Amino acid sequence: MPQTLSTREANLFRTVIRHYEDKQYKRGLKAAEQILKKNPKHGDTMSMKALILNAQGKTEEAFSLAKDALTIDMKSYICWHVYGILYRTNKNFDEAIKAYKFALKLEPDSHQIQRDLAVLQVQMRDYPGYIQSRFVMLKARPQLRQNWTALAIAYHLDGNLQKAENILSTYEKSVTATPLRTDFENSEALLYKNSIIAEMGDFEQALEHLEAECKGCLDRLAVMELRARYLTELGRKEDAAKAYRALLDRNSEHPDYYKGLVGVLDIAADDEGALKAVYDEYAAKNPRCDAAKRLPLDFLSGDGFRAAAKAYLTLMFDKGVPSTFANLKHLYSDTFKKETLPVLAEEYLKEHSGDSTTDGHANGDSSKGEGAALYFLGQHYNYFMSRDLSKATEFVEKAIELDPKNVDFHMTKARIFKHQGEIAKAAEAMDHARSLDTRDRYINSKAAKYQLRNDENEKALTTMGLFTRAETVGGPLVDLTDMQCIWFLTEDGEAWQRRGDFGLALKRYHTIFNIFDIWQEDQFDFHSFSLRKGQIRAYIDLVRWEDQLREHPFYFRAALDAVNLYLSMHDKPQNGANGVEGSHANGDDAAAEKKKAAKKARKEAQKAEREAAEKAAKQDPNKGGAQKSKDGEEMKKKDDDPNGVKLAATADPLGDAMKFLLHLLQFSPKNIEGQIAGFEVFIRRNKYLLALRCLKASLALDKDHPKVPEQATRLRKALEGAMGSLAPKVKEVIESELAAVPGA
Amino acid sequence: MDIRLLRSSDIPLIQHANLENLPENYFLKYYLYHALSWPQLSYVAVDVSRPPKTPYDYPKIVGYVLAKMEEEPADGVQHGHITSLSVMRTHRRLGIAEKLMRQSQQAMVETFGGHYVSLHVRVSNKAAIHLYRDTLGFKTEKTESKYYADGEDAFCMKLELDFIREQLREEEDEGKDKKKKALKEGEEGEGEDVDEGEAVGDVGRDPAKGSKADQKIKVKVGRGLGVGELIEKDESKH
Repeated sequence: MPQTLSTREANLFRTVIRHYEDKQYKRGLKAAEQILKKNPKHGDTMSMKALILNAQGKTEEAFSLAKDALTIDMKSYICWHVYGILYRTNKNFDEAIKAYKFALKLEPDSHQIQRDLAVLQVQMRDYPGYIQSRFVMLKARPQLRQNWTALAIAYHLDGNLQKAENILSTYEKSVTATPLRTDFENSEALLYKNSIIAEMGDFEQALEHLEAECKGCLDRLAVMELRARYLTELGRKEDAAKAYRALLDRNSEHPDYYKGLVGVLDIAADDEGALKAVYDEYAAKNPRCDAAKRLPLDFLSGDGFRAAAKAYLTLMFDKGVPSTFANLKHLYSDTFKKETLPVLAEEYLKEHSGDSTTDGHANGDSSKGEGAALYFLGQHYNYFMSRDLSKATEFVEKAIELDPKNVDFHMTKARIFKHQGEIAKAAEAMDHARSLDTRDRYINSKAAKYQLRNDENEKALTTMGLFTRAETVGGPLVDLTDMQCIWFLTEDGEAWQRRGDFGLALKRYHTIFNIFDIWQEDQFDFHSFSLRKGQIRAYIDLVRWEDQLREHPFYFRAALDAVNLYLSMHDKPQNGANGVEGSHANGDDAAAEKKKAAKKARKEAQKAEREAAEKAAKQDPNKGGAQKSKDGEEMKKKDDDPNGVKLAATADPLGDAMKFLLHLLQFSPKNIEGQIAGFEVFIRRNKYLLALRCLKASLALDKDHPKVPEQATRLRKALEGAMGSLAPKVKEVIESELAAVPGA
Repeated sequence: MDIRLLRSSDIPLIQHANLENLPENYFLKYYLYHALSWPQLSYVAVDVSRPPKTPYDYPKIVGYVLAKMEEEPADGVQHGHITSLSVMRTHRRLGIAEKLMRQSQQAMVETFGGHYVSLHVRVSNKAAIHLYRDTLGFKTEKTESKYYADGEDAFCMKLELDFIREQLREEEDEGKDKKKKALKEGEEGEGEDVDEGEAVGDVGRDPAKGSKADQKIKVKVGRGLGVGELIEKDESKH
């Protein structure tokens, strides 16, 4: 039976709660101990103590104490609430929801528990649960607009647009006073409602609502954009054109506005002159506008293209715009354009050669004029659709001759080396480019990337260290990890993998996996934050993006690397547990040497890391060491496998690969590389149906992919060997499905 | 290249651009905080000419401005602040940074009633200082000693946004005049055009020049001022 407290102790209990809330954990613990001395079986106090222990990072101890508290006092909502909080802070949201529901059953009027539960429900996308919670909260406090908006959001996310709109309208009707024009929450709520009406596809009503209710909304751009869109949808072309023109006056660098305008102007698709005139108007209005001059190159052809391209290139070369090639290379899918652009650049060059030696050098900027044209041609011949690397080298060398200290020119030289397969030379050239402007992090990042491509992990980390925060404990790698620098972690992992150090490679891939976990959890606070801020449309945008988070190419690349590495670990089990690749078929000597080199490299890396950590620790005596143990501060968990030794020593590489693979298949099913990797994992695990599913997906994506017939043959062969052990039904399904796959 | 409002899905590549370009970096959540508190203020420049490699390509960000409103302004005046601005080295000289800044400034006034915008810049960053001071019209307020982690000083710079407020007020008046005229002439008065009708701030215009010239011609009407006042009053309460 739970114990009851005396008045003095009940007061003490309140101070425990207060200390916890003020993050005075030591004091809180002390007070809790005092109560427990007399009442060792007081569940609520035990729970509070568990909560404090959890905040101090003693998770296991906290959980076991909280469980004890629950067995003593099953009927205490505090015990259940604490249990829920423990799960929540340890990111086990499903269990947390269960505990919260128990707590709420015991204390149905607790606003705080209900609110916490609601947040967990939307985080876990339990929309029916979220609707229910928000409904209860609305009933408790209908005077708060937030509660109405929140219920509308719940319906909206659940796909019930009509209900969402009704809720918002019901609130609006209940308000008698006219809201101030500067009432931001009101302004946003109106636009939110408008977006829901539009989502239902009723543009007539959406436009009507927009014009009647949203004229004064503070997000003017949104009102203008929505109006243009609705008018277009409704076929009110003249008004739509006016609306798009207003948008272009505001921002003439947004191609969608031109597209919108042209779309409602009734210009024949092949009337290039009329189309161009639309853009010319804005080019004349805004002399510094790029889009109006560049976009017509997309649709112009023949002489019209030639003339416009000539004018554009001349302007860009005169100004020395380095992105000229990058901004035009998409035109290369058109052969005529691909051939015309370099001719125009050569013409420009002829007209301007020698300029730089006379007036070019006088103003000290030879990246303009002749230099810009040479640079363009260097990039042209370096591009895969128009590649001629010796010509590329020729032009870039000429450019460098003109301006030996130009970072961009040297950067392109490094890229040419890369395409020639001269990885070491490329790294060297990029590092030279870096040395020409040591204050620019962009070129510094590129130099590090090229060092990684050349398998120089240690050197690259040193290069990166020139710009990472010096005071970060643990050195550049910790800073880059903290700052979620995905590109570096990916390239670093791939380089370690090439060097045969699977431990460090896996470590990087897992780090990236964890960063995506963090990004997913990042939305947690915004479920309540956004209601307070009132920026509902932005919040909806966030929730929808988070649902697709792991389709990002950042995730795909690292996860595919990890899956492929696990596959090769499965196929070639290693000798030792140190993660260094075992002997190769291509000669034991080479393998041993590689192993030795990798071992040495890792030692060096460890040494560098240790030194960096020491240096960093010296710089900031206040922090001292990786762990901050001040009362009230969360302890930073120590990494017990910094070099991935444990990861590489896995006995079940295929099982570990599943963690990465499942997300690949779930979020990027249309990427054939993922399906191919999926097949490889499943067939090794004898999951024939799943392997077949991947194969069929690959087939649907690209029936001419060379892997398709190869995998089909292997699946057929594997099945022949395993048919006896398969259930007849499964066998039948596979047989009939496989019959449709060529090569099988 | 495309200049448009930031979306949540842009953020990983904005963070990427920031990490490539600048030594001051942030967690993804800090970008989210901006995107969800002041979604109207942050803009990106996107390279739209890259051929897609997979069905899951995200637009490549070549420049961005990450901006906010000061939550508790020390001087009690509602104002914006530039948290971070950068453009990839490969995409310079197209005026991207300036265009991003102008879009953000416009929204600071329109949406949040900002009076000025402030920022910090490294004292050694000549190109950025040139942009802020000479192109955009910022003034240096003071120097903050050792502002950056590596010990470098920062200039605190500030730009008054009156010229945008003035423009908005004029448009408001213009709109009302138009409406009045239309009503006088006995037409059905397509009042719908009133608010969005005219250009709202032109990217690439000299701010000081533009507003002064217009100011002299227009005669201010009481109503227009009234709206301005209303905005100001409410701001001080925030």
